[in-house]
Amino acid sequence: MGVITHEASGGTAIAGLGITQMGKVYGRSATDFAVEAITLAAADAGLALSDIDGLLVNPGVKNDTDLRLQSTLQMRDTRLLATMQGFGSSAGQMVQYASMAIANGMADVVACVYADAPLTEGKRAGASYGGQKRAMEGVQSLQFAAGLQAAPERYAVAARRHMETYGTTSEQLGAVAVAARQWAAMNPHAQMREPITLADHQESRTIADPLRLLDCCLVSNGAVAIVVTSSERAEALQQPPVHVWGWGQAHPGYVNRRDSEFGLVTGAARSGAGALAMAGVKVDEIDVRELYDCFTYTTLVTLEDYGFCAKGEGGEFVASGAIAPGGSHPTNTGGGELSSYYMWGMTPLSEAVIQARGQGGDRQVDKHDLVMVSGNGGVLDFHSTLVVSPHRKS
Amino acid sequence: MLHSLKAVVRDDHSAPFFEAAAEGRLLLRFSPSSQEWSEPSARVCSVSQAADLEWREASGTGALVSWTVKPGRATEDRPAVPTVIGIVELEEGPWLPLQLPEVDPADLSVGRAVRVDWVQPEGSEHLPVAVLA
Repeated sequence: MGVITHEASGGTAIAGLGITQMGKVYGRSATDFAVEAITLAAADAGLALSDIDGLLVNPGVKNDTDLRLQSTLQMRDTRLLATMQGFGSSAGQMVQYASMAIANGMADVVACVYADAPLTEGKRAGASYGGQKRAMEGVQSLQFAAGLQAAPERYAVAARRHMETYGTTSEQLGAVAVAARQWAAMNPHAQMREPITLADHQESRTIADPLRLLDCCLVSNGAVAIVVTSSERAEALQQPPVHVWGWGQAHPGYVNRRDSEFGLVTGAARSGAGALAMAGVKVDEIDVRELYDCFTYTTLVTLEDYGFCAKGEGGEFVASGAIAPGGSHPTNTGGGELSSYYMWGMTPLSEAVIQARGQGGDRQVDKHDLVMVSGNGGVLDFHSTLVVSPHRKS
Repeated sequence: MLHSLKAVVRDDHSAPFFEAAAEGRLLLRFSPSSQEWSEPSARVCSVSQAADLEWREASGTGALVSWTVKPGRATEDRPAVPTVIGIVELEEGPWLPLQLPEVDPADLSVGRAVRVDWVQPEGSEHLPVAVLA
């Protein structure tokens, strides 16, 4: 039996955060962005790059960044090094694996990074994430041949099923978009800060019915990095530590057959319950929610699956104003992927760090003792959850 | 039949599927040990994970689970033609994502009965689509 003698048996914390410029920032590679974000995160923590002895790289959708980031950063004798590809669930997963490595003495300071540069000047944003380029060979290609290629149409099928089953409406999805934009208006990092109305949402063009343009996330160039270390060490550093209280993962593995819960219940249900149990808290003790919102529907269904409202009542819940500024359940307080920036799971995680530290400026939520963070990847295929807090877990 | 399906070619696994498709027959994977059906791409049984899958002919009838409508682009000669793509639950249980060519989206609803029909895009095997039953 292994005995944990390391200081990290007292838990881990996020000690540094680095966010580059976001959006239409051209002429820089994903690696350029990654280096900058890690440098910023280390400086934010009050650490030198040479203090980092672990590196986890989420290589993004195009695999533009990888293990070679180690040599780019001139890191030597690295004790933990891996790419980690859980798609949108990666950020939460990286924090989990980093925490386990630190708790077991495998590394002391682990940088986790997501970087992406899909936007090219003069090219449509939609072209950046077009359908997968694959040889149309065999029966596994039938769905691509039929036109279920990119994320919007596949999430549209999920959203439709929720709408048909529970009576969720397009206007309710629109309430998620409007709330996200209200938060984004107060976030200097956000790409989209112009206010929008429900009418704007309803009038925005159809991407894949029932999803409209304003139901879809942004496309961004940029990078976000965080630094994870032991809670003890984090407390001696320059930023308020964000302690990791609980985590979970759940990857539903929907079967394409009768009784599949696809579109109705996501991996958030099991992942969230696991993270809350590990943290030792109940869902109604959570103060702030930072949820993966690749589409408005994703926010809504995640709120249900985490238990912030009853299954099927997500539509009414978001339309009540609960998640908007001033509402009872502040959610995606930086504007999320819908309005701030699209850095996969680093979008909600970065905002969770900002809120937990109390550094949200105009958008800071007064009570921020417990923050829940979700990551969702694939088409609701992969899910990670974190519960974080400015307080050390007792 | 007006559709926007892209060409698909066979591989070793799918050869029997496309042989039958050319004759207008739908094959699915069937596990004799579990008596359950799986989607055509399955490598193991979707219910029991048994590895004894074999090709077996299915009824070709099913019901709509969900769908999306992708708006087309209008050109000078013709108005935009939307693409309707549905998830169809076959009578045997497996789901297939199928285009519904030339259907009016207003006619769609959950549970709407459909049957599998076949089209052959240029340079392609015969591919399944759904038509309202």
